[in-house]
Amino acid sequence: MIDLVLVVAGLVLIVIGVFYDFIGAIGLLRLPNFYTRLHAATAGAIGGAVVPMIGAALVALGAEYLGPPRFFLAGAAFTSSILLMILAQAGSHALARAAYISGEAQREPILYDALREEGGG
Amino acid sequence: MDVEALVSLVLTVLIPLYVTSFLLYAVRVVKGPTIPDRVLAIDSLGYDLAAFMVVLSILVRSPLMVVSGLTLALWIYALDIYIAKYLEAREMGG
Repeated sequence: MIDLVLVVAGLVLIVIGVFYDFIGAIGLLRLPNFYTRLHAATAGAIGGAVVPMIGAALVALGAEYLGPPRFFLAGAAFTSSILLMILAQAGSHALARAAYISGEAQREPILYDALREEGGG
Repeated sequence: MDVEALVSLVLTVLIPLYVTSFLLYAVRVVKGPTIPDRVLAIDSLGYDLAAFMVVLSILVRSPLMVVSGLTLALWIYALDIYIAKYLEAREMGG
């Protein structure tokens, strides 16, 4: 019984992850400039990559038919989901900071630039 | 409906969705006006490819691809840091 619960929970997480992935992709296409796309990219990265990995780990734990190697799969999936949760944010933040300081990304559709007011730009 | 058929059915239904989002990311990689846009798109593409490898390794019943998924995620993070370092200080460190 517990296996079925694990598998169903994992599959639900994977479906949610694919949905996030799709929304992130559409957001990345439609948003006007780099700084708004950051939101879509990190939502696509966390919701679209970390959540399905946790779901895949749950499915791997619950699926008896996979046999003993499924525990390697579950362990590696959990590890990479936790790592990804940390790394995706740090990488996007570093990229955003570099894009802002180097002025590489265009800031046109902008209402208020707090960083420039404080002289950090 | 036993577990195996359920898992295989759901995962095979998800694969085209994954592939379409990869293509959408690829469109942003090609179209992205500036370098950070392209790197951001490669970011999400790489992370979701890693997740796709993990999900696919359940479908093909072998845990080999998960290790490369983890490595891909780490390399995509390294790409981010290198590009950020280059954009800021015009040097890649090392």
